[in-house]
Amino acid sequence: MKNVSTVIPCYAADTSGVCSALYELGGLTVVHDASGCNSTYSTHDEPRWYDKRSMIYISALTEMDAVMGNDEKLILDTVAAAADLRPEFITLCGSPMPMMTGFDYDAAAAEIEERSGIKCLPMHTNGTRSYIEGASEAFLAAVKAFAKEGPKVENGVAVLGATPLDFGLSGSIGSIRTWLGERGFETVSCLAVDSSFKDLERAALAKVSLVVSQSGLAAAKYLEKEFGIPYVCGVPYGKKYAERVERYLRWAMEDNETDWVDERSGRDFDTVVIGETVSAFSLCSALYWDLGIDAAVICPLPYEEGRLGRDLAMSAEEDIKAFLEECRPARVIADPLYRYVVPKDTRLTELPHFAFSGRCFGQRIPDLINKDIKEFFE
Amino acid sequence: MIKLAIYGKGGIGKSTCTANLAAAFATLGKRVIQIGCDPKADSTINILGGTPVMPVMDHMREHDEEPKTIEEISRSGFGGILCIETGGPTPGLGCAGRGIITTFSLLEELELFEKFKPDVVLYDVLGDVVCGGFAAPIREGYADKVLIVTSGEKMALYAANNISKAVKNFEDRSYAKVRGMILNRRSVENEEEKVRAFAESAGLDIVADIPRSADIIKYEDMGKTVIEGDPQCETSQRFFELARLLIREEEGR
Repeated sequence: MKNVSTVIPCYAADTSGVCSALYELGGLTVVHDASGCNSTYSTHDEPRWYDKRSMIYISALTEMDAVMGNDEKLILDTVAAAADLRPEFITLCGSPMPMMTGFDYDAAAAEIEERSGIKCLPMHTNGTRSYIEGASEAFLAAVKAFAKEGPKVENGVAVLGATPLDFGLSGSIGSIRTWLGERGFETVSCLAVDSSFKDLERAALAKVSLVVSQSGLAAAKYLEKEFGIPYVCGVPYGKKYAERVERYLRWAMEDNETDWVDERSGRDFDTVVIGETVSAFSLCSALYWDLGIDAAVICPLPYEEGRLGRDLAMSAEEDIKAFLEECRPARVIADPLYRYVVPKDTRLTELPHFAFSGRCFGQRIPDLINKDIKEFFE
Repeated sequence: MIKLAIYGKGGIGKSTCTANLAAAFATLGKRVIQIGCDPKADSTINILGGTPVMPVMDHMREHDEEPKTIEEISRSGFGGILCIETGGPTPGLGCAGRGIITTFSLLEELELFEKFKPDVVLYDVLGDVVCGGFAAPIREGYADKVLIVTSGEKMALYAANNISKAVKNFEDRSYAKVRGMILNRRSVENEEEKVRAFAESAGLDIVADIPRSADIIKYEDMGKTVIEGDPQCETSQRFFELARLLIREEEGR
């Protein structure tokens, strides 16, 4: 029964990751599913659903279409919708039912592209992996398809991996843009909050990519390989740590060097942060630089091999619970719904994560970008 | 890289032909992977001296998690041929076709081709193209060419016709194309004429003519292919001819 969660929820699925990543980029996103993934996405995982329009559609796959392998219906419907809506591009992503019938996304996307004349990106989601994998695949495919070569913008930064699934609508992404601007950087592309298709086209014009979640890492690696753009992984939380991130951005621009801004003490930790890797690493570093707190991370989501150090990768509820019981940290910083696996005598500092608890605590997600974090954590 | 999927009616000799073709390629100095795509998981047994490899689905069932390395789900056999079997769900339960897709995704994640760097990959597929799972070996990135094994028996030709039509249905997609048929003789009256007539009507080549031979059964009883047991015999020579033909075609591409 490993990986069965009995008291905590699971993270948003890969399908939601694709939809969230591409929500504002002007594409038509078709989820091949009966409808379940659509309602999960719109009601739980997408805070922009009622306020901002986007071309996210469901294919309304029926049992008979699935059993009979009636791919033509999806292809015709998608081509017809694209003719009406004239999207910048089309994305075809999947869910558990087509996964079980072995639906071939690559072949269907190629047919849709040929018939519609509009670029179609196949996503290999199946509704069983995390939003990180979906968003990561979507950002990578979109950047591969649309980022244009051009003269680099002086002090230009591309912010990669920004979705409400990690930052909610707390204003953090806007604060990152403001913080960059105040330090003489220019946000040439942000993928993808308060963004448009132009942000995709401009992604390769940056001098450096700022990766703010694991979802943006694959696209950053691609931009580095194809366009020679180095990347820095870190979210500028707190004051002193934000200065470290700024310094790394400048070093990256000057020396063309890629790095993670993960600077913590080697001392024993008394605090555990549970969450998305880039964000959690950044928060640990901010706790150290700004408040002198030593913290380690539990990564329940995909992470980059070789980055963990003393941090731990564990996604099974029973493993996390057993670790916290044994380790007994003074404090855990995590989404409020983790309280059920935190020992009673351990203090829980609630840091809502939209991809974990959805709208439950969406209003309480703090904006910690370039802020004094003392009050929040002490 | 030569990437072949072998289809044909159940019991027609697909695994025998696949294993012997694999052994022929290996003897000619090629690095070969043979992937059995049948829940019976007996495609590679005669490459492995009669001792089967642990099928991928059995590994998942036993360990309740995906294998971390290729070594856990493969074994090297005659001529260094890397043998993999997809296996399948518990008979009567689950979905065998889905098992094939799961296995292929896993092999991709484990970077099988990048690590082993094969010259030849052979997919030995269960019977007809009955669903999406059994079409997986002919999707883009897997096999480029399909070989259909048939005899002169009516039902074998009927199945060959179905397989040929199924593959043609995917013409709009970048799937594998039928390269031709392997005539695996069963001592049927006027066998060659019957198969040639069908091949002509279907627009297919007969790329190999394998004689009915006791040698095949003799060496299979010993856990070997004919190529391993007696590379000089006529049956072996036919497989060598087919392997050389396919190598020439690949080199000419």
